Amino acid sequence: MPRLRSKRLALDMLRPLLPDSEWERVQAYPVQDVGLGTDAFGTRRELLGYAYALGYWLHRYYFRVVSSGHEHIPSEGGGVVVGNHSGVLPFDGMMVGADVFRYTEPPRLVRYMVDYFVYQMPFVGGFFRGMGQMPGTRRNFDGLVQEGHLVGIFPEGAEALAKKSEHAYELLPFSHGHVELAARHGVPVVPFGLVGAEEQQTMVADLRPLARALRLPYFPITTTFPWFGPLGLLPRPSRYFIHYGEPLRIDPGALSSIEIRRREVDRVQDVVAELVRQGQATRKQHGGAQ
Amino acid sequence: MRRPGKPSPVGLAHDGGNEPGTLRSGKRRVFLTGARRRVAVHLIERLLADSDVEAILAVDRGACPPTLLGCDPERFVFASADLSRRRQVDNLFLLDRFRGKPFDTVLHLAFQGNPHGYNFKSHEYNVNAAQHLLEASLRHQVSKYIFLSSDAVYRLGPRNDYKVREDAELNLDPSAHPILRDTLDAEFICRAKMDDPGCEIMVIRPSGVFGGGVISGINLLFESNPPVLPVGFDPMVNPTTKERLSRDLMLAISLHGKGVFNVAGATIGPLSRFFEERGINPIRVPGPALRLANRLQRGLGMTRYHAGFHPKRLYFSLVLDDMKFERVFRAHARQVPSLGRGGDDTGS
Repeated sequence: MPRLRSKRLALDMLRPLLPDSEWERVQAYPVQDVGLGTDAFGTRRELLGYAYALGYWLHRYYFRVVSSGHEHIPSEGGGVVVGNHSGVLPFDGMMVGADVFRYTEPPRLVRYMVDYFVYQMPFVGGFFRGMGQMPGTRRNFDGLVQEGHLVGIFPEGAEALAKKSEHAYELLPFSHGHVELAARHGVPVVPFGLVGAEEQQTMVADLRPLARALRLPYFPITTTFPWFGPLGLLPRPSRYFIHYGEPLRIDPGALSSIEIRRREVDRVQDVVAELVRQGQATRKQHGGAQ
Repeated sequence: MRRPGKPSPVGLAHDGGNEPGTLRSGKRRVFLTGARRRVAVHLIERLLADSDVEAILAVDRGACPPTLLGCDPERFVFASADLSRRRQVDNLFLLDRFRGKPFDTVLHLAFQGNPHGYNFKSHEYNVNAAQHLLEASLRHQVSKYIFLSSDAVYRLGPRNDYKVREDAELNLDPSAHPILRDTLDAEFICRAKMDDPGCEIMVIRPSGVFGGGVISGINLLFESNPPVLPVGFDPMVNPTTKERLSRDLMLAISLHGKGVFNVAGATIGPLSRFFEERGINPIRVPGPALRLANRLQRGLGMTRYHAGFHPKRLYFSLVLDDMKFERVFRAHARQVPSLGRGGDDTGS
């Protein structure tokens, strides 16, 4: 099967990006096989390894991530990881995932609730699923948390990726789902603030009609895309700063009162905004985004 | 068993001795439609091996399947009838042989599910048969009615849950294939009567069924030479086998329980892995060319699979969550003597 061999070869090229010790950690990550090498969510350990190899390389050498507060990430059991979103393409999610996996022992995988449009795209949807990333439905959230996974949510939604540069680091209103689901399952919300993704691309405009026609949440016009073709989507190597905050326990009253739920959502959003400010201050100390 | 006295409006079928998962008392007298289906043939053989099954009336259009010709005539009768005709359905319940000892179980497997040659008569057959059979069953005090539906009733798309439960969104798209709409019609007919206190009405939605000669989407796809799949998509599935499905139907017949149930195989995995496991090399074409390639293949006799019947099937995952069936039926398999002490477990 030459086609399979060439696919395998392409993936094997990613392997040297990961040190042996990290490769062993990926291989030791528990993927509960339900018959044909995947868990019930479709996670494939080999794909996870290759994705982590790429993520690790980007994390260490390209975005040169500086992060703190890993002690706030629960070492076991379910939890919701919540933060700000930006940067045209979701490299921020990838970096948080790589960061959590790299700095937790035993390694923890953040499984994001991903926008549906991703799963309509050939290869991309399968790749996301193979890495354990799921379409954002309530049942998927329930299933992941019940099995003790960390679930990543960007409550600003995919629209936040299309923020224009003049609105950098302004948070869009948070959706309520993460608070409601965390309260229902009694799991903590781990907030994080991420600085650096806003600088990786400069968003000029969002071609909404074209986005609607292509069934995408946005169609970016940046200083490099579409002028340089797909290469124009590659991010600039701006340094990322990630700060994790203390886990927040959500008031169970959020399940029965809209007022309490709104208050809890505001609390999470305020903490994320504060962590973003901390990240910006740390960046100044490091001499800026470069 | 019909209870004496006036029943309360709902739920009596589960009261007292009729707890879900408990063994139904007495011997079974089974009325089975769609007897020419491979699953039905397998089930009939299983039922005949069970001493608690007193008699079986198997009905279909056409002749009796050859494998059933040698069955004990004291316990097995085959009848040919058009189930879309109300009178013919009634007559089957009034056969001399069964008038003294009426049926206690009706298993409706007859469904014109092949898109090839589908027309208005097929629609009449699918919907009317379900209606006439259910009405006759209630009139003749049948205590269990089982309709074998399909997993095609679920809406498929990128929003699907990793495991689809019985209450998931249904495919009510008006542009869906008429056979899917017939299946939903037949299901709704059953669901409308599900509160009947004297009859446990079950709708079983199986995942794709593997097995020699089985006319299911997934089986026809795997029997294609070669199977054609869209580039860049590899949905998660959990197909079952005809052996496992017939065992599940046997449990549904033998134990108390009513409602809508998913049944599926034990193995969950990407479609491509099922092909790899069987040593089959599918070819992949760009998504927009899939239907054309499928039509061409059908024209050349290389496949009987209809890509247009359930077009999103090869793109999006559909993994059935059958925990409800597991809890109510499979967990109590040991109570069914014919399945043995180990519950005669059949993997996928």
